[in-house]
Amino acid sequence: MALLGDFGTTWTKLLDTETGQRWVLPTREAAARGRRADIATGHNARRWAPRHINELIALAQGGQRLIDESEFLLLDVGSRDIKYVRMRDGELLGMDWTATCGALTGFTLELLGSYYGIDYSRVPPTDKSVPVTCGILGMEQLFDLVSRGVSETEAVARFARGIAMNAYRFVGEPEQFYLSGGMCENRLFQRSFPDRAEVRPLGRFVLVEGLLPELQGASPQSAPAAEDISDGT
Amino acid sequence: MAERKRRIGFAGCPPESVLAPRRGAELIDLDNLVGGVEPRSESLLPRTTCRIIRRILDNALSLDLDEIIVDEGYGKCDSARGLAGVLEQLLDIPVIRTQNENGEGAGTPISDSNLPLFRKMELILDGLVNPRELNLTPESNPPAAIWGVPAADLSIYELFPDGTQVLGWTRCLENRTPSNWELETYVPGEVPTVFFAQTFCPKNIIAQQLARERDGLHVDVDAVLSQPVRAKIEAFLHFRNVRN
Repeated sequence: MALLGDFGTTWTKLLDTETGQRWVLPTREAAARGRRADIATGHNARRWAPRHINELIALAQGGQRLIDESEFLLLDVGSRDIKYVRMRDGELLGMDWTATCGALTGFTLELLGSYYGIDYSRVPPTDKSVPVTCGILGMEQLFDLVSRGVSETEAVARFARGIAMNAYRFVGEPEQFYLSGGMCENRLFQRSFPDRAEVRPLGRFVLVEGLLPELQGASPQSAPAAEDISDGT
Repeated sequence: MAERKRRIGFAGCPPESVLAPRRGAELIDLDNLVGGVEPRSESLLPRTTCRIIRRILDNALSLDLDEIIVDEGYGKCDSARGLAGVLEQLLDIPVIRTQNENGEGAGTPISDSNLPLFRKMELILDGLVNPRELNLTPESNPPAAIWGVPAADLSIYELFPDGTQVLGWTRCLENRTPSNWELETYVPGEVPTVFFAQTFCPKNIIAQQLARERDGLHVDVDAVLSQPVRAKIEAFLHFRNVRN
C-alpha cells in the first residue's frame, strides 16, 4: 500500500493504491495538515514526499498507462503552467513545459470564476479571444473588455478561449489530443478549443497515475484516513 | 605595505599570446561567477542581453581592474564586441580588443574524461587563469553529452551522469580554439545530447538546429535553472535510458 500525490500549485491530488480511494484538496490544506505521500510529483512535491518524480516523466508515464494507443499527444493544463508530451511506442518524441507564457492562466480562470460567481458549465464558448500571454496580462485585457461594456460572462469566455488557443498553438495545432490537469474539469475551457480539434479529456489524476510505475522500492508512509481529508471531487 | 598585483580581467577566450605576458598579474576570467559582485548591469544593457555578457559587465564594474582584455573575434558574439565599447565608455582603464584565431588545438582531455560533468566544467572554466597538466582517464562510452556554451547557472551540470561528454563552444574553450566552427559543431553519433545556450544567446539557433538533426533536446536558460528546464532534461535522459 502506498500513498501517491500530485502536489500542484493550488490543488493536491492523492491516491491510496490499496483502496483506490482518491482525494482532491487545496494544496494549502494539504500543507496545513502536514500530508505526506510516499512518492509525489507536482510543483510542491519536494516538500511532501521522500521521493519526487518530475511532472513531465509522470505525465508521460500516466499517458502510457491510460491511453491505449501507440502514439499520442497529451497536454496538461494546470493552474500555474502548461506542458505536453508526445509519445510513440514508449519513446518520448517531443515535450515542452512553459511556466512563463501561459503562466497562472488556469489559476486566473479559477479566480475569475469565483470573483464573478460564474458556473463554467453554463457559459457558452466563443470564437473571440483575449490574447492571453500570461494570466496577469490576460486579466488586464479582460477587465478592459468589461469596462467597455462586454458582459462579464462573455469576457471570461474570451479569456478561456485565449488560454485554449495559446495551449493549442503550444502543442502544434494537432487534429486530436488528450487533455489532463485541473482545467479538464472546466467545461467552458474544454469547449474553447477550435472545432477542428478533437479534445479527449483524461481528468486530473494522470500525473498520479504516472507515479504507479515508480512504486517498486518505495517505503510506504501511513495513509491518511479518508474522513480526514476533504474530498474535492 | 606590499603593492597589490595588477588586476587584469578578460572576457571570452583571448589568445595565449595576449595572456602570457600578463601572467604575473592577477588574471580574472570575467565570464565566471565572482562572489560578492553586485548586479549593476540591469540599467546599462538591453533587456535581451544574455546572462554571461551581463556578468562580464557586473564583474568589470566591481573588481577594481587595471586593464580588460576582450576577445571579440569570430569565436565571440556581437554582444561581446558591443560590450567592449560599453566598457571603454564606463571605465577609465585600457580595454584591449583582441581576436583569437588560434587553430592549434590544445586537446580536450577534460571534455572527454570520466569525471563528473560539474567537475569538468569547473576545470575548463578555471583553465585560462590556471592552466595545468591533468592526468585524466578518458570515458570510452559517454552516457550522454552536453553541447553549448558554459552555463551561468552551473547546477545544470549536476543533472547529468559522470562521464558526460562536453561539446560545442565549451569544448572549443578547453581546446583554446574558440573560433573553430568544425569543432564547435562536432556531435558524435548516438549519444543522447542536450543542446544548451544561454537565453538571448545567438547560439540558440545553432543549438536548436543541431538538436533537430541529432534528435537531441534544445534548452535555453537565463539566470537560474528553472523547474521546467530541469524537468525537460531529466525527462529526456530518463526516456533515453540515461541514469544519473
